[in-house]
Amino acid sequence: MTKYGQAFLAGLQSNLVYRWNFGVRSIFWFFHLAVVYILWGAAYAANPTIGGYTFAQTLTYFVVIFVLQFFIGAFNEDYQISEDIRNGLINQFLLKPIHYYGYRLSVFAAARVVSGAFGIVALLVALPIFRGYIVIPHDWTLIALSIPAMCLTAIIQFSIAYCFGLLAFWFLEIQGFVILSMAVETLLGGQIVPLDLLPPAVFNVIRFLPFFYQAYFPAAILTGRKGVDFALQGLAIQAFWAFVLVCLAEFVWRKGLKHHTAAGG
Amino acid sequence: MKSLSQYLQVWLASAKYSLVRATMFRGDLFIWASVELLWISVNVIMVGVIYSHTPTVAGWSMYQMLLLVGTSMLIQRFLMGFFWSGIFEMGRNVRTGLFDFILAQPGDPLFMASTRKLELDGLLNSLVAMGLVAYSARKLGLHPGLLDLGYYGFMVACGVMIHFSFLVMAVSLAFWITSAQGVEGSYFTLMEFSRLPKQAFSGLASVIFVWILPVVVVSNAPANEILHGFNRDWMLGLCAATIVWFALAVLVFRSGLKRYTSASS
Repeated sequence: MTKYGQAFLAGLQSNLVYRWNFGVRSIFWFFHLAVVYILWGAAYAANPTIGGYTFAQTLTYFVVIFVLQFFIGAFNEDYQISEDIRNGLINQFLLKPIHYYGYRLSVFAAARVVSGAFGIVALLVALPIFRGYIVIPHDWTLIALSIPAMCLTAIIQFSIAYCFGLLAFWFLEIQGFVILSMAVETLLGGQIVPLDLLPPAVFNVIRFLPFFYQAYFPAAILTGRKGVDFALQGLAIQAFWAFVLVCLAEFVWRKGLKHHTAAGG
Repeated sequence: MKSLSQYLQVWLASAKYSLVRATMFRGDLFIWASVELLWISVNVIMVGVIYSHTPTVAGWSMYQMLLLVGTSMLIQRFLMGFFWSGIFEMGRNVRTGLFDFILAQPGDPLFMASTRKLELDGLLNSLVAMGLVAYSARKLGLHPGLLDLGYYGFMVACGVMIHFSFLVMAVSLAFWITSAQGVEGSYFTLMEFSRLPKQAFSGLASVIFVWILPVVVVSNAPANEILHGFNRDWMLGLCAATIVWFALAVLVFRSGLKRYTSASS
């Protein structure tokens, strides 16, 4: 087994210790869903469609967004990385033949396996409750295209969190940056409102930003809000952003190391 | 038993220390103030997008909804400003054993833990939330009298106490489940309901979120005060909820405290 495989297993064990966190999160997932159901249900009460979409389509979109967050969303990786730097734990990685990005990505993947399991349980409980409001995706081409989109989304989400975590090389406290970024990502990622409900001019600008590919894009493909042509174009832009962000992560890592002082024993 | 004036002196000393600290770390203050402002903006944008597709939601116009969102934000900003840091750190300190420091202080542990820090960024953004309420009221052509504003202020204070109580109960879980990191976040999830009008709730959701959990009442009661004038039922309901929830929070906290076994736990 490779060193990254071992890191994955270690990550799996440490994340199982915090299974309560994921359990609590999956319970509160229902509350999120309830807010969406109540708010959008009230908005749809006087309108059969909003932006060309039915209530069921909109609710399905949010369910997919929430479930995707369990599987591919970055939760607190930025905080963990910043803690490694602040506490000096990062020093051990400088002496070992393992790349920190690869190590952290392996731990991230392990964490998502654990949280994803809770996501599946939450989904299985939610499906019977919201059965009448869920539109099951049936276009196999779009479902197939959503798989690389989800993988690239995971890389984008992780790389952004990684870069923010590395800011701890320069700043003592990074939580402000992280939550500032989270607000932008939540809005421009389509977690608050489906981005296709925004004015077309705004939508056409946002689709060239990396945030667009953090949640909205895979959800829009999977739920059939957008067609195959849009998905293919989006995948190209998404791959570009994933590449840029991985390069940026490496750049920030190298710059940060030059700034880093490994004091003590 | 400490007298109220002694507690006031302790609080004033903590407030003074927090303000001096905030002015020392001006960059940090700017970032956190931006974070809070951005989250308020995210909520306003969400309302804007929904209302660009429908004239009313649950019978509420856009400016009525903005007044409700502003009120909800105001309550939350006050909570963030006065209590958040202290309560947030409480959970972490219970886990690490640093809560000993609070217990060694000459005062009620809940008071000492929750009022240790004042966050200037939250208080600054309460002005933005107030501005949103005032702007919405102006757009609706409302001119509330001094008495109405007094009732509104009192109801907002009750709302802050209910939020405080909920947060204390959530964080007190750390006394029982030391691995339950991040449960403080559940507060934000539950308080999402406070941005929804009461009329949007029906059936089981109404029973749970309007009558059992006071998450809807906290914001709807003061917003209705400005929109429709004094309503005795709202006022009595809110006062009762405040007393019950605060008593529950104290009870849960004290039960938890009995389980605390210091740094060796």
